[in-house]
Amino acid sequence: MTRFSRRQFTAMALGVALGVTGCAGQGASKNASDGQSTGGGAVEMSFWNGFTGPDRATVEALVKQFNQSQKKVQVKMEISPWDVFFQKLLPSISAGKGPDLMGMDAAQLPQYASRGVLRPLDDYYSKNADSKNLIPAAVDAAKWDGKSYGVPMNFTTLELYWNKDMFKAAGLDPNKPPANWDEFASMATKLTKDTNGDGKPEQYGLSIADHATIAMWPILLWGNGGGVVSEDGKTSLLGDPKTIAAADKWATLVRDGHVSPVGLGGADADKLFQSKKAAMEIVGPWMTTGFKDAGIDFGLAPVPAGPAGPVTLGTSVAFAVNAKTSDAKANAAQQFIAFWNQKDSQTSWALGSGFPPNRTDISAQDLAKNPFIAAFGEHADSAKFYLKNVKDFSKINDTVFEPALQKLLNGKGSASDLFGKASKDAQAILGQSK
Amino acid sequence: MTTEAKSLPTPIPARPRRRGGRVRRQQKRAAWLFMLPSIAVLGVFVVYPMSQALYLSFTRYDVLNPAVWLGLKNYTDLPGDPAFTNALANTLYYAAVTTPLSVGLALALAVMLNQRIPWRALGRTAVFLPVVLGLAIVAIAWSFLLDPDIGLLSYWLGNIGLTSNQGWLRDPNLAMPAVMLVGIWKNVGFYMVIYLAGLQSIPKDLYEAARIDGAKGWQAFRHLTWPLLANQTMLVTILCATATLQAFDQIYVMTRGGPYFKTETLVMLIYRQGFSEFRFGYAAAISWVLVLLILILSLGQLVYFRRRAVTY
Repeated sequence: MTRFSRRQFTAMALGVALGVTGCAGQGASKNASDGQSTGGGAVEMSFWNGFTGPDRATVEALVKQFNQSQKKVQVKMEISPWDVFFQKLLPSISAGKGPDLMGMDAAQLPQYASRGVLRPLDDYYSKNADSKNLIPAAVDAAKWDGKSYGVPMNFTTLELYWNKDMFKAAGLDPNKPPANWDEFASMATKLTKDTNGDGKPEQYGLSIADHATIAMWPILLWGNGGGVVSEDGKTSLLGDPKTIAAADKWATLVRDGHVSPVGLGGADADKLFQSKKAAMEIVGPWMTTGFKDAGIDFGLAPVPAGPAGPVTLGTSVAFAVNAKTSDAKANAAQQFIAFWNQKDSQTSWALGSGFPPNRTDISAQDLAKNPFIAAFGEHADSAKFYLKNVKDFSKINDTVFEPALQKLLNGKGSASDLFGKASKDAQAILGQSK
Repeated sequence: MTTEAKSLPTPIPARPRRRGGRVRRQQKRAAWLFMLPSIAVLGVFVVYPMSQALYLSFTRYDVLNPAVWLGLKNYTDLPGDPAFTNALANTLYYAAVTTPLSVGLALALAVMLNQRIPWRALGRTAVFLPVVLGLAIVAIAWSFLLDPDIGLLSYWLGNIGLTSNQGWLRDPNLAMPAVMLVGIWKNVGFYMVIYLAGLQSIPKDLYEAARIDGAKGWQAFRHLTWPLLANQTMLVTILCATATLQAFDQIYVMTRGGPYFKTETLVMLIYRQGFSEFRFGYAAAISWVLVLLILILSLGQLVYFRRRAVTY
């Protein structure tokens, strides 16, 4: 053993201390070099999104195709699950190390746009004549305060999936899905079976999620002419008698008729249909692969029409550009967006992901190879975006609407009391946003 | 290494101690040097962030824009915010149930596994095992066990007539007991080990003396074991109370604070206010209220147990 002098010892202790702080510095400098342009004159642009599902391969293929098609712009993509994506986004943008381009739920855009972290993209629409072929509802959904902050990266509606084998077993015509609310309610009841009589059904007619999910319940509220917030995003509709009547009707059926379990999250609802424990679910095209792999013989139909006519949810992931990104990279980002939305790319996107294309000018023959696409694209006209262009989207959905709905489903009050109070809370939040 | 060999200060008992002497000063300096790495780490990762949070708690701050000074507004808003009072009540409820249960169970298990019983080592390992696992990871496993459709535990409970239509985690009346159960199961092994150490440091002759006096079983436990474990009880209770006031991991994984905020604790609320509502100033204010709460509670416990501390 060597014995250390005191001076050596001091140096060692300091070394350790500096080592600790040094690590942090090193990590930061490494991050800073991310997204810098590489040699050879090409602009390297970082692109974050959350396409971890079956559509990941299609996203990666299109990015690769873009990178190989020209030499000026190289897209460096980072895919992480959506919850991780949103957790990382805020700290990284605030540290000045955010991505140049990101894909995020259009509903989330106003939250970021209102804080000045996104670059307006109105010039994209004025410069690219081709952009007029994009689905207008999806373009409109990516606006905040009159300006466009996003360009559609994908778009879809939700459809009703029904399990044909379960319909047959319940004595229903497997090729005749419910077309209106009466049929929907009576079929859901018929398909719910408590075989061992313990009060907990072994098979549910419907699988409908009330939290942490793509909006399923709001479609039922719209079906009666109600809703959560008005189309202009200024007035709460939760206290509207039509909203309350719709909520009461379906909540009673779920709570007392047990046609769907109470308290499902979006993933739970998908799992229930996938494991053949529920006969119907309203969800998007991302589940077709999983349901097919589970060996389910399912059909796709429009969401059954309510008294106010046919309606479904439209949802879109939008491209958005970081406000701190340099002009060169912002231009590079627009170049990639234009590539993504051109006709060929959108055809491959649709065929690969099962999503309908973002464009209105791609014919059904071009998409014939994937029979599901048409179903999701067909009803774009009756699609509404949930809490469109509302800055406090998460706050209204997570802290007002979903808790009120969950209380109703758990029998903690009447629809008029719970939704009446929720309406006041929602209106207060909307008032603050102005 | 060079051979510039002046020797390090040697441990204390080797030299005669002189007040204010050179040796003592050297020892002091050496002690500080030994602590320097830890102090540096604590300073950078604990003290500095805490002081930053204290500053932020007086501001409105959304990370993306500069902080705006609000004075005490965040703090004065707290009592009137139903989200805060709900989370505070949930936190106190969680702590008030899990702390005594954890301590009691840890003591019972320690006493049991301190005896010569078959499979003793296996039992100790089984109870301690959850401690070394990540809470977030075991919470995922528990979510599966409690799933109403595919959960093993739900199935067993169903066989003895305990069915919940919604499953434990989705039922507003059962979600909190479920996350409490996981919290207790996860940490009880750690407290048990502390108690085990305490039990083994009680001199055997005290029990022999007690036996001669006619104390057996419960009497020996009540009048000998329990008072002599006062130090361990103090440590375990304070550790457990401070930990349960910060309950987060399994709740985040298993219920996300739901259904309708029935399981939202203060730390969950801090997370939600910060990362989903971008109110970092407000979140920092709640953090500081939690810090004060823990401090007051720990000091109270310390004072209470100090009077019962034992030396033997």
